[in-house]
Amino acid sequence: MNTLSKQSGFSRWVRIAVIGRNPKVTLMRIAVLIVACVAIFGFILLPIRVEGISMLPTYKDRSLNIINRLAYVRHEPQRGDVVGIRLAGPHVLYMKRIIGLPGETVAFENGRVLINGEVLDEPYEKTPCDWNCPPVKLGPDFYFVVGDNRRMPSEDHVFGKAERNRIVGKALL
Amino acid sequence: MKNIFRIVLLAALAALALWLWTVAFPGPEKVIRKRLTELAGTVSSSPGGSDLARLAAARSLAGYFGTNVEMNVDLAGHGLHDPMIREEITQAALAARWGAGSLTVKFPDINVTVAPDQQSAVVDLTMEASISGEHDPIVQEMKLTLQKTGGQWLITRVETVRTLS
Repeated sequence: MNTLSKQSGFSRWVRIAVIGRNPKVTLMRIAVLIVACVAIFGFILLPIRVEGISMLPTYKDRSLNIINRLAYVRHEPQRGDVVGIRLAGPHVLYMKRIIGLPGETVAFENGRVLINGEVLDEPYEKTPCDWNCPPVKLGPDFYFVVGDNRRMPSEDHVFGKAERNRIVGKALL
Repeated sequence: MKNIFRIVLLAALAALALWLWTVAFPGPEKVIRKRLTELAGTVSSSPGGSDLARLAAARSLAGYFGTNVEMNVDLAGHGLHDPMIREEITQAALAARWGAGSLTVKFPDINVTVAPDQQSAVVDLTMEASISGEHDPIVQEMKLTLQKTGGQWLITRVETVRTLS
């Protein structure tokens, strides 16, 4: 009798630990959790995997990150922000750093970035490069984006003007 | 209570009927998406395939295109700006299949805009191509124009889009 009651007490605790005191409430919690996860990670915080070396050394190839789609609800993108830029949709994004803001003129001269003719201080740039690129005047709705890895040849690097509506959000990590 | 149950049942039946209708008679957007997904599968190739299989795949690839296709493509350093006829597409596909190892093509994002007359459509898509031996996949935004000819949606124009200009 004593063994039986011990067993039933144990199984009761296991049941409580696994499905809670009230299974209906637990089911409700699970449903809310699933809906919240789908909503958050499907529409607000986009989980991404970095592929390629264009953001080295800041982000390594195959590293994981999250793009915050609400980052630019209250303010516009800032210089230095690492952003996700959509192609035809949100499933494949370019990950780049904003160096030029709307209305500015951006140029590369012997590896240095010139904004309106003045050298841009880039503390995230660790390696010297020799890129040269003629001045590009940005329109009112355009940002100039580029990867951090300037050691690679500029011809192999995707960079340039991105329209504001292509910027999906800001990298969180 | 009984009435609520009836209403819920009716709503469920209506939703089921609507779903069955869309499955049986898919709209042009759905047909185009399906066709492009099939196209991605046809373009993809594995190195172990026989010559006959390659030829069949190349021929089937041509079936996705119109008789004359306007090309405005800049891809991985290669430019293609002349119109092509179907046979040229077959030849190009064959050459690519013999030259390359394994190739996997996907269209992760497909945006379809069907014209009001439902006879033409413009598709903006992202192409992701992984080639064996290459570390990073080729990612390219593309714009396709399709025309409905003989009940089939055929590609009549292919152009690459520069995401970052």
